[in-house]
Amino acid sequence: MMEAFFIAVAPLLGGLLYGFERVLRARMQNRKGPPLLQPFYDMYKLIGKQAFIVNPYHSILGIVYFITLWIVVAFIILGENLLYIIFLHLLSVVFLILAGFSVRSVYSHIGANRELLATLAYEPVLVMMAVGFFMINGSFEISAIRANASSIIPLFLLFLTFLMIIPVKLKKSPFNATEAHQEIIGGVEVEYSGVFFEFMYMAKWLEYVFIYLLLMLFAGDNIALGTALFIGTFLLVNLVDNATARVKMRDLIKIVLTLGIVLGTVNLIGLSYV
Amino acid sequence: MFDLKKYRKKSPWILHYNAGSCNGCDIEILAALSPKYDLERFGVINTGNPKQSDIFLVTGPVTYRTRERLVELYTQMPEPKVVIAVGSCACTGCVFRDMYNVEVGIDRYIPVDVYVPGCASSPELIIDGVVKGLEILEHKSKEMEKPFKLFKAATIDDGIVNRRHSALKVGEDDAKD
Ligand code: SF4
Repeated sequence: MMEAFFIAVAPLLGGLLYGFERVLRARMQNRKGPPLLQPFYDMYKLIGKQAFIVNPYHSILGIVYFITLWIVVAFIILGENLLYIIFLHLLSVVFLILAGFSVRSVYSHIGANRELLATLAYEPVLVMMAVGFFMINGSFEISAIRANASSIIPLFLLFLTFLMIIPVKLKKSPFNATEAHQEIIGGVEVEYSGVFFEFMYMAKWLEYVFIYLLLMLFAGDNIALGTALFIGTFLLVNLVDNATARVKMRDLIKIVLTLGIVLGTVNLIGLSYV
Repeated sequence: MFDLKKYRKKSPWILHYNAGSCNGCDIEILAALSPKYDLERFGVINTGNPKQSDIFLVTGPVTYRTRERLVELYTQMPEPKVVIAVGSCACTGCVFRDMYNVEVGIDRYIPVDVYVPGCASSPELIIDGVVKGLEILEHKSKEMEKPFKLFKAATIDDGIVNRRHSALKVGEDDAKD
């Protein structure tokens, strides 16, 4: 019952988180910032706007991306298989990339290309994380991971790599080359308008929920540690977002792929000897 | 139940276009978006994408090259939308008025809702203009407003070229033929 409720309100929770983040970022820059419910105002406005349809598949793929992401979040909340969740999430990203390639806009194509490259960079890290959890808990089931004690100490290097891919996933500096708003105007989402853009906008909220739920897995059954991890990471990610400039796409892949794979492999090899 | 129109004015997204301005007004717009004046507290985001914006901020006198882009960008924005002419150039042509390569303000091509005067207009004035535009946005419906026709011969009365009053609506002179 509790799970069903959380699944239903997951996008709204993500929206609140996004609104809070915008306020927090404004405060870090010493200004007032938008109201907390700003994302929901945006959503209401987008309902009332005229929608341009470039081609039917483009619009439908955006909606499918949103729905798949929602299913992924639902499976995490229900405590299903972690590996399965990671690959289902990859499927949702594939829908996004297909949407980017289904229109003729150059910006959309660049965005989809970059999204593809970013996926190549962070997907191994996610899989390694799942393997790490398997070596500690003996199971890929999230319910089993949640029932066991916290695994942040033995998985510390993997935790660091996971921190590194959060900005990639949430499109934040320094790793936001995938939707660089000043150069390629949002990348994949450039051709969306009106109610169809709303699904992309809400999918962004779901990405927040997805990534922070994965982060909480490191805390295991320790709820206090989970909350501390969440708040600490939230502040850290926003601080880094405010304090750094964007790196080039090539550097993003170099940094995330090399550092991530080295740290993750060292962690996994270490685990297998202990 | 809640009224959607009330929320429409709470999240205006801006498209900023430079129709040949000297950059004076553009810098002031960027200043208004910067932390000191903080337009974001009204929910404003500078999207740079016509398909997702509500407010069209135009600076500069319209030149031969920029007028086609101006109309193009205007037609790519989904309704409801508000056009704000920032700076004397965008309103009337300012010091460039009646030069051979400059049109007399942007309202010869697209319907303008708010005029913000000044060379360069100050960030306070621009914020006032945007807030005024929000009130208009609240009342606008999804109905289309058509941009004006691009090319029409200038009419000369009293030796002064005055094109504003002779601007055509799209389709108006097709009907005459
Ligand atoms: S109004 Fe003045 S400052 Fe603004 S674009 Fe024209 S000449 Fe430049």
